[in-house]
Amino acid sequence: MRLVAVGLFTAALVLPALGKQAIVLNSDDDSLSVIDTASYREISRFYIGRQPHHLIATPDGKRLIAAMAGGNELIFLDRDSGSITDRREVSDPYQIGFSPDGRWFVANSLRLDRIDIYDGRSFELVHRLSAPTMPSHIGFSPDSETAYVTLQGTDQLTAIDLASGTPKWTVRVGRQPAGVLVCPSGMILVAIMGSDKFVGVDPAEGNIVRSVHTGRGAHNFLLSPDGQTLYVSNRVAGTISVLDAERLVVIGTLAAPGGPDDMALSADGSELWATGRWRASVDVIDRATGALKAKVPVGRSPHGIAVN
Amino acid sequence: MLIDTALRLVEQAQGALFEGWIEPVLYKFELMAWAEDGFDAVGFALFGAVEIALAYLLFRPLELWRPAESWPERRAVWTDIVYTMVHRLGVVPAVLFLVLTPIGATIDGYLRFHGYIPPTLEQLAPALRGWPFATFLAYVVLLDLGEYWRHRLQHLLPWWWAVHSLHHDQRQMTLWSDDRNHLLDDVLVAVWRGTLALAIGVAPAEYPLVMIAFRLIDSLAHSNVRLRFGGALVVGPQYHRLHHALAHAAPPFDRARGCNFAAVLPLWDVLFRTRRRVAADQPAFPPTGVAGLAGAAVRCGYLRHQVDGFRRLGAELARLGGRRPGFIAALLRE
Repeated sequence: MRLVAVGLFTAALVLPALGKQAIVLNSDDDSLSVIDTASYREISRFYIGRQPHHLIATPDGKRLIAAMAGGNELIFLDRDSGSITDRREVSDPYQIGFSPDGRWFVANSLRLDRIDIYDGRSFELVHRLSAPTMPSHIGFSPDSETAYVTLQGTDQLTAIDLASGTPKWTVRVGRQPAGVLVCPSGMILVAIMGSDKFVGVDPAEGNIVRSVHTGRGAHNFLLSPDGQTLYVSNRVAGTISVLDAERLVVIGTLAAPGGPDDMALSADGSELWATGRWRASVDVIDRATGALKAKVPVGRSPHGIAVN
Repeated sequence: MLIDTALRLVEQAQGALFEGWIEPVLYKFELMAWAEDGFDAVGFALFGAVEIALAYLLFRPLELWRPAESWPERRAVWTDIVYTMVHRLGVVPAVLFLVLTPIGATIDGYLRFHGYIPPTLEQLAPALRGWPFATFLAYVVLLDLGEYWRHRLQHLLPWWWAVHSLHHDQRQMTLWSDDRNHLLDDVLVAVWRGTLALAIGVAPAEYPLVMIAFRLIDSLAHSNVRLRFGGALVVGPQYHRLHHALAHAAPPFDRARGCNFAAVLPLWDVLFRTRRRVAADQPAFPPTGVAGLAGAAVRCGYLRHQVDGFRRLGAELARLGGRRPGFIAALLRE
């Protein structure tokens, strides 16, 4: 309550300087939590706007973008000072992403069955596509020509040509697909949330070429910066699977009860941070030992996360 | 600190219930695309349970201590308890969500495809930016104004009154009576609120405690309590009892000219000249109900009420057949 009360009387949203801190978006109470990464304590919680969901970095890495689905805007936060540097009106952004070359910015509206393609620099709307139903996560081809979007309501993955805004192919991949990750080889990994696996999809035709079991409710991916380790959050099982990223073989399973969702690595790469949607907390896991170092209470339904 | 702990307990219960009971069912029946909505539904039900518990603990002792009316038997109250449970624990809201959400999303999506993005109050009034609690209060005031006019229309339009009259058609008004509404009435109210959301967006979700407080005001307003407090700044039991008074519903009663329509802020009744105080020659806590209706008032049972509401609507539509008084004509009559 103390933290909420702070928010009541805050004249303007000015975060503390984001040194060694993590930021978490709490979707169900419209707030942003700042966590000290040394003490693993939430040091402040601010009202940020309606229904914040996903959080990504700008292509230059200097700013963070919070997708405010209910507020119909993107909020840009300076990664060092913590101040809001910009706001952009965007219709119902739920999941967002930049193409690798930064030319395109894609925002999915899961609620309204729509995919919006913007110019990644000017944020001018270029294409608006109807996408039945429930477009969720986004991945991009290495050449930045194609976006891959899961359609949770119809169990499909669709490939969209970004320049023309037209679908190249749409295929069934499994029940309620969620996270998308494109491997350096170009193969598309899709987490099958209604099952206990992810599949590998051939980018040319959309054929399923691999299937790897992880845990019930496979939801999202995180690839370590060195490309060696792949993490998969399993929402229903309450675990995070650890895989050899090159061979796509499970080499370990981490306990993460509470509906693990988005993940991030600490700056030094030693810790895995994961938001727990159902327990209003963030798990910090030691990557070397797999031990839970901390379970940090935050706001309701924490979703997007970034660790400085 | 205590409130903080209580909130945290509700959050933990929400997570445990969802993880333990709801999510496995969604997974089994291939409904994981609805996981977040299911999680929110569990939260809605838990906060509803908190509202019910608080309303009972706070207002039931008042009803026992100083009842406005005493009844030899309370069978009708049990029906109202059923209404409260199915509404506040989420059964009716879940049905409304499933039925109306696709329609709302279609309209919302259509508008956005044509360049209209529903604004928020902060966008309409940028001075509110950075003042979340002030923004929240601004929403409370505007939405309460919307509720006032929605309530006026419920009494003004004959076809709407046909179903809304079920809410008034009780002779034992208690803390449980707030949710006693016909399903069609609930649908119309949801459409009204959805339309408002398209115009001004929705209020921030950061203040669940304040939302609980407003639901408690609704429960208190219907309580069978002989206490005069309330009515100046917020609606109280005597204030709202006059709105439900049998005397005001008796001929030559004109329902369009009822009184005390406000949900939370009496200000609207003052501004629009529908505020009424107890007359010197009238009882301070009059009996409630609708004189011309004797159907569901003396019968009990949720389903029986619902059927009766459809009958009333059918009869009203048959009566209106050919006359086409319509919305505008009814407003002009007003």
